[in-house]
Amino acid sequence: MPVHLTRRTILTLVGAGAVSLATPLAAQDVTLRLAFIPQENPDKLLGDIEAITGWLAEEIGVPVEGFVTIDHAAAVEALRNGDADISFMGALPFVLAEAEIGAVPLLSEVYRDAPSYTGRIFVRRDSGIGALADLRGRDIAFADPISESGYLYPLAEFVEAGLVEGPGAAEEFFGRVFFAGGYQQAMQAMAEGLVDAAGASQYADLLLTPQQQAEVTWIAESAPIPSHLVIARPGLDTDLQARFVDAMLRLNAPENREKLRYLYGPDGYVRADSAAYDGVRDMARQYGLLR
Amino acid sequence: MIQKFLGAFIAALASALVLSGPVAATPAKEAPWLPEAAAYRLTLFLGNLEPLPWDDVGTAWAEPYRGSEFSVGALAWLDRESDIGPGSLLDAITREDRQAVFAEGTRLIALRIEEELDQAIAAEDPTHAQQAVWTARELYRAFADGIAAADPDASRRIGLAWLELNSSTGSAGVLGAGATPANRETTEAAREVISGYLAENYLVDDFAPRRTLSALPETAVLSGRTIEVPPSLPPGSDIFDQDPLPRLVLNFEEQGIDETDLPLVAYGDMLFDSAQIFGNPAQGLGVACSTCHNRSDVNQRLFIPGASHQPGAIDVDGAFFNPIFNDRRDDPIDIPSLRGLRFTGPYGRDGRFASLRDFTRNVIVNEFGGDEPTPFMLDALLAYMLEFDFLPNSMLTPDGQLTEAAPEAAQRGEAIFNTPFAALGDRSCASCHVPDANFLDRQAHDIGSVAPGYEGARAGALDTPTLLGTAYTAPYFHDGSLPTLAAVVDWFDETKSLGLTEEDRADLTAYLETVGAADEPYEAFDTENTAFRLAFAELTTFASTIGTLLPRRDAEHILLLTDTVAADLSADASTMSNLPARPEVYALAERLAAVGAAVRADDWKAAEASWTAFKSEADAIEERAF
Repeated sequence: MPVHLTRRTILTLVGAGAVSLATPLAAQDVTLRLAFIPQENPDKLLGDIEAITGWLAEEIGVPVEGFVTIDHAAAVEALRNGDADISFMGALPFVLAEAEIGAVPLLSEVYRDAPSYTGRIFVRRDSGIGALADLRGRDIAFADPISESGYLYPLAEFVEAGLVEGPGAAEEFFGRVFFAGGYQQAMQAMAEGLVDAAGASQYADLLLTPQQQAEVTWIAESAPIPSHLVIARPGLDTDLQARFVDAMLRLNAPENREKLRYLYGPDGYVRADSAAYDGVRDMARQYGLLR
Repeated sequence: MIQKFLGAFIAALASALVLSGPVAATPAKEAPWLPEAAAYRLTLFLGNLEPLPWDDVGTAWAEPYRGSEFSVGALAWLDRESDIGPGSLLDAITREDRQAVFAEGTRLIALRIEEELDQAIAAEDPTHAQQAVWTARELYRAFADGIAAADPDASRRIGLAWLELNSSTGSAGVLGAGATPANRETTEAAREVISGYLAENYLVDDFAPRRTLSALPETAVLSGRTIEVPPSLPPGSDIFDQDPLPRLVLNFEEQGIDETDLPLVAYGDMLFDSAQIFGNPAQGLGVACSTCHNRSDVNQRLFIPGASHQPGAIDVDGAFFNPIFNDRRDDPIDIPSLRGLRFTGPYGRDGRFASLRDFTRNVIVNEFGGDEPTPFMLDALLAYMLEFDFLPNSMLTPDGQLTEAAPEAAQRGEAIFNTPFAALGDRSCASCHVPDANFLDRQAHDIGSVAPGYEGARAGALDTPTLLGTAYTAPYFHDGSLPTLAAVVDWFDETKSLGLTEEDRADLTAYLETVGAADEPYEAFDTENTAFRLAFAELTTFASTIGTLLPRRDAEHILLLTDTVAADLSADASTMSNLPARPEVYALAERLAAVGAAVRADDWKAAEASWTAFKSEADAIEERAF
C-alpha cells in the first residue's frame, strides 16, 4: 500500500508531556514510545498523534511519545532496537514481525462489532459477470500486492474455486492484473469501466459516490480477515503494557469514543487473540512470505 | 488494509462525480484535496464569479481551504514540497488579470504533476515511487472532470495509464518479503500517455481566452464544441445536513394524521427535497430547499466559497446559482428558520414578499434558476410548508408567558423584556417581539443593524424575526454577525444605550434562551432508528402520491416525483448501517424508476403494475430499512 509521505515527515516525533509525577513509573523516568504507520496525509496524522499521546499520557501516568515511521518495516525495526515500545500494524506485517522479532499482539481493532472483516470481488451490476469464472480473460484491479483484503484474500477465492493455480499464477487466468494503489483507486477503476472487477475490502464500495454504489455489486467474499492490531516489542515492562492496554480499552467508553478518530478511526478495540491470526499466518506461508 | 479504508472513509470520498440522469439530493463527500490542487479549483470557481472576489483568490493560495486536512496553504506547501515557484501566478493575481491567473495556475498544476512523475521515475524504491504516483494522481484530479467531459476516450486512456503506472512501480513487499521489482519500460510508457496529454492541453504557452474558467483541455476549447462540464463545488464547500439534525414538527403529524392521507402535502414535502425543481448548477449539485432549511429549520454548516461569508449563510442573488439574478452585491444572509411559517409573513429578511407563493416562486425561478413551477407544484409546496410548526417548549405558555418550569433568571429577564425604554421610544423588546403573537409583529423596523448601501439610503428595515426556537439557530441578525443570544443583548444594550447592569443582561439573555428553547430540538437517532430509516419513511411517503397522480394520468408530476425519489432512495442507501439490506433498497428504487419509465412510454398499465409492486416491496423491507 503506498503511503504519502512529505519529504520532511519521516520519523517525526510528537511528544506529550502531561504526566502525573506521583506515579512510580514516571519516577523511574519511563517514556512510552508509539510508532505510527502513515496514511495518506501525515500532516493530519501528526496532529492526531499529538492529541492521542496527550490523552494516553494522562491515563497511563507516564510520558507518551509518537513517531511516524516510513512503513511497517521501519516500525518493526524501531520495535526491534527499542526506539519504539508499541506500534500500530496490519495483520500481515504483524505475523511477519512476530516471526522475526517476537512482537506481541495487544489489541485488535473493531469495526462494525467485529475484530475482523472480509475481502470481496466487486463488479458493475450491468457487466453480466455473475461468477468468478466469468472473469477469465478479463481485467481486474486489486489494491496492492501486500494488502490482505485488497489482494491476498480475494485472490484466494479464485484459488479456492480452482480458477487460479496459486499465488503467482493470477496472470494466467485474468486478462490484466493491476495494482491500483488502494481500495478507492481499484474500486473507481472498476466503477468507471477501466477494468471488469476489483478486489478490495468488504466496505470499499462505500468509497464510491452514492450513485456509483448503486451500480456495483460483489460476486465473492473471502474468509474473515482479522483486523489491524496494536503490538508491543518483546520485553516491554508488563505493568506498563497492562496500563497501556487498559487505557486503550477505555477508548470504548462512550465519553472517549470521539478520540478513536485520532487512531485510524476504528469503532473500538478488544484484547488481541493471537489464535485469530492463524489464518493470516497460513496465508503468509502460502504466499511464501513466511517460512 | 482496513486502516487505509477508514482513513479515507472518515474524510469520505468520491473524487470524480459522474452525473447522469436525475441527480439525488444526497451529496457525495469528497476526498481531501492536496493544497495546490484545492487552490487551483477554488481559483477556477471564484474566477467565474462577478464581481470577481480577488481577495478570496489570494486567500485560496495563501491559506488552507476550509476544512483542509493540511495545516498549511498551497504557497507554503509548494515551498516545502516543490521546486516550482508560484511567482508568475502571484504576479497575475496582484495584477487582477483573470486570464493570466488561469494560465499560470493551470501550468503550475501541470508542472507539479510532471515534477512528481519525474520523481516516480527516478525513485530508487517502490515505496517512494508510489508516493510520487499517488501525489501526481491527486494533482491530476484538478483536471479530471474537464477531461472526462470533453474527451472520454482520453480520460479512459489516462485512467489506464495511472493503473499501469502504479502497478509497474513494483512493490516493496512487507518487511522485505514479497517484494516485486519495478518495470521501468512500462512505467515510462504509461507516464508518456499522461505527459503527452498534459503538454498538449495544460502546459500550453498561450491559452485561448476563457469566458468560463474550467478544467477543460485546451484542444477541446479550441475545437469550439459546446461541452457541458458537470457542475461542481470547490474545495471547502459543505452542503451536508447539519448534525444534529433539527426535529421537524408538522402540525398534521402532531394531530395523528398520516401524511400519506394528505397527497398534496406529501407532494410538497417531496418538492421541498427535490433538486429537480431548480436549474443548474443547483440541480446538478443536488441542492434543494431542504439543503438550506434542514427539516424546516436552518443548516448551520452550509458553506460555499464566494457565496457564503460564514457557515450557515448564503448569497442567493450572487453570481453562482443564477447569473441573470446576480445583484452584484456581496450580501450573503444568515439562513432563516421556516418554523411556524404560516405566522411569520411577510417573507424575506426585509419582508419584501407579502405572499408566500410569490416568495416561493422567486426562490425557484430567480434565485435557483428553475423552470416556472406549475400551479400544482406551488400549491403543494405551500400546503406542506404551512404545516411547519414551532418546536414545543414546556417553559412557555401558548400566549408566550413563562411557565413555572422556566429558570428564575429567565423570570427576571421577562420583566426587563417587557420594560419600556426611553431609548427605544418608550417601547420594550416585547413591543416588536410580541409574546402572544409568536414573538413577532409582522412589521419591518430599521434598528440600525444594516449598513446603508449608499449615503442617505433608507433600506435598513428588516422584518421582525420570531424568538421561538432561536436557541438552536445561531448566529443571529440577518447577516449572522452576532454569535450568541448574549451578544444580541449586548448589542441592543450598547447601541441603544439601555443602561442594563451585568445582571440585567444575564437575566435578559436567560429569558431569550428560555423563549428560544425546545423540549426536543433535534432528531434522536440510535442503531436502528437511523437517519436512513427517517429518509426511507419520507421517500416512501413521497412516493405515496403516485396513488393519486396515476388515476389522473398526470405524467408531468409523476415524472418529477419518480426522478427525484428513485434517485434519492438509491443514493441514500449509501448511508445505511444495515449494509446487507442495501440491494433490496436499490431494487426498490428501480421499481420506482420503472414507474417513471412506463409513464414516459405512455404505458399506464405497466406503470400501475410497477407501482403495485413498489408498494408491497416497500412494506416488506421496511423493518430492515436502517
